Amino acid sequence: MKMHSIAHTNSLSRRLLLGSMAALFAMPMMIGNAKAAGLEEIKKRGFIVATEDDFRPFEFVKDGKPTGFDNEMIEDLRKYAPFEIKQEILPWTGILAGVSTGKYDAAITAVIITKERKQSLDFTSPIADATHYYVKRKDDKSISSIKDLSGKTVGVQAGSALLGRLPELGAMLEKQGGKLGKVVEYTSYPEAYQDLALGRVDYVVNTVINLQTLVAEKPIFEVGQAVSGQSYPAWAVAKDNKELLAFLNDFIAKEKASGRFAELQKKWFGEAFPNLPVAFEPDF
Amino acid sequence: MIRDFGIVWSERSLLLSGLANTAILSTLSAVAALLLGFLVTPALMSKRPFISGTSRVFVDGMRCIPFLLFAYIVYYGLPSLGLRLDNWTSGLAALTIYNAAYMAEILRGAWVVQPREPIEAGIAFGFSDFRLFRRIILPPLLLSAGPVIGNQMIQIIKDSAFLTIIALPELTHAASSIQSRHYIPFAAFITAVFLYWGLCLVIEAGVSSIGRVAEARR
Amino acid sequence: MNGSDIAAIFQGAIMTVTLSFIGILIGLPIGLGLALIRWANVPVVARIVTLYVSMLRATPLVTLLLLLFFALPNIGVPINPISAAILGLVMNTSAFNCEVWRSALMNFPKDQYEAAQSVGMRAGQRFRRIVLPQIVRVSLPGLVNEMSLLIKVTPVLAVVGVVDITRAAVRIGAQTYEPLPPFLVAIALYAPIVFALVSLQRWIERRQTAAEALA
Repeated sequence: MKMHSIAHTNSLSRRLLLGSMAALFAMPMMIGNAKAAGLEEIKKRGFIVATEDDFRPFEFVKDGKPTGFDNEMIEDLRKYAPFEIKQEILPWTGILAGVSTGKYDAAITAVIITKERKQSLDFTSPIADATHYYVKRKDDKSISSIKDLSGKTVGVQAGSALLGRLPELGAMLEKQGGKLGKVVEYTSYPEAYQDLALGRVDYVVNTVINLQTLVAEKPIFEVGQAVSGQSYPAWAVAKDNKELLAFLNDFIAKEKASGRFAELQKKWFGEAFPNLPVAFEPDF
Repeated sequence: MIRDFGIVWSERSLLLSGLANTAILSTLSAVAALLLGFLVTPALMSKRPFISGTSRVFVDGMRCIPFLLFAYIVYYGLPSLGLRLDNWTSGLAALTIYNAAYMAEILRGAWVVQPREPIEAGIAFGFSDFRLFRRIILPPLLLSAGPVIGNQMIQIIKDSAFLTIIALPELTHAASSIQSRHYIPFAAFITAVFLYWGLCLVIEAGVSSIGRVAEARR
Repeated sequence: MNGSDIAAIFQGAIMTVTLSFIGILIGLPIGLGLALIRWANVPVVARIVTLYVSMLRATPLVTLLLLLFFALPNIGVPINPISAAILGLVMNTSAFNCEVWRSALMNFPKDQYEAAQSVGMRAGQRFRRIVLPQIVRVSLPGLVNEMSLLIKVTPVLAVVGVVDITRAAVRIGAQTYEPLPPFLVAIALYAPIVFALVSLQRWIERRQTAAEALA
């Protein structure tokens, strides 16, 4: 079967090629980025939220149904909100991009607050403590403190704050004469943990809550020490979407006041975090 | 939008290393798959039922399952049987073995339509086995199978993109990484699409020149 | 791996089969339309189609899906995972189908067409009664090949969140750390479907060579 080759076509095709390339680039400039929707528009067409498909214990799928801390909060939100809530479940790498371009109104997932993210997103009150820790194989005796991590291979989720804050760990290691080893980026954490179990990576960095949940389910792992400073996850909306932000913060405050917040935290994280700030400015 | 492409430009080293990985991985596995195919094709046509049977099971098996599933099996399944490869080796192995089956089919199809006369003449003239293969059998075989092999190479380049899922830092993985950190999906992926298109045009040009050589010979 | 895990993989199978079916069904006529545009050499549009087909055949489906799913909303077009999956599959398979249809059209004996014209058949009739039945016959092996290729490419839909057979199997393996059993179930689900299509293709090819030998 002969293959058609653009390389040998005449000038009309070449002009068309250049023309369509120009159109392809010009089009987005003309239409512009989609704007984030205000509360009025959300009331009319429904509230579109995005959650991750496998991020225990915040959200995951069990026996075909979405469950976890964030999913239960969404159930409460459905009773609280005067409009319909539509939930999209997708991989992490698409969530923040979707919120910042207006495809989703909010990310109801544990988004760690970082300086870089604050440039295109606004965050609600933090929902948990998210100090970064590392986890290793329990039978790996070569790692017992931070300085043993020098030169070892680390697994993290692509596009995550945990990846973004690895330099903090790198600085910690350098102070003790070591350095950060090879970094492997995964689409989601279950794959990283699987590779940890298989020995392809030596340690995985995630928040303390995720790791404690993991170790409770899989005792072949053990949580190590903290590899970052103070860190909090929250829900994210597009920048300057003040009405929606106020709405969500009111909801969170109500959940805290009624004790439901602490109840869900104890259920999913093993402990409540009663002293979470109402707003948080990150150093990183 | 210009700003978005500016960000892509600033990350060009990541994109280029992804492109290099894609090109190297695809080329290595294409060559290896072709060589492996040359071993499997005679096995397929062997008179001994055991050899032809097992090779037929191999070829049909590879053509019945999706490449991504095979890559997962090589990467996550083999360790259960004691063989743990890193993502580059797994990717290369999966691409090679999977496409060797297709190459074997292609070579078999091309072999079946080869005229027998030149080969019989070569044997009559006393060509040794190796010379027979290299100068009588191989050139027309490659020339007639050229376009289809070129097609398969393009397929290999596209299959390599699947390997982003086992964290192999090829072109799509690079574009994904850029997109998930800077939130510029359109710029990042359109750039990747054009780079893939460029790679394929290079292959198509190569196939065309082989086609011209084939025409000249005839 | 327990019963609910196997049920999850079967649910993935329903998704795989449904999306493949829709993709094949829509992709076939669109591929034919594209091929007709190029065959009839409609000015300007034919060149655009050539460009479109060339780019789509060179683009990995994974990259196309990521582009559609993330970039379309970026320019104001909202799209959900299932729509992105179907759109990606259709775009991909229509480009390949186009080449198959086009090869059949180009090899179509002109004299039949001209004879029909001279007898006074209108263009639509000519197409429906003379051209279409014969090019369908000629294109069939290539089209069935493309169908099996489409099914084998569906695992990639996981990047936009669609849970198919492969994604369901991988998820179970990532939880239980025993990946082989779910993988074997996945193979057991894919192989019969693809093998049936490949056998169908071989049977069609054999029948056609036999028919041509008799003719």
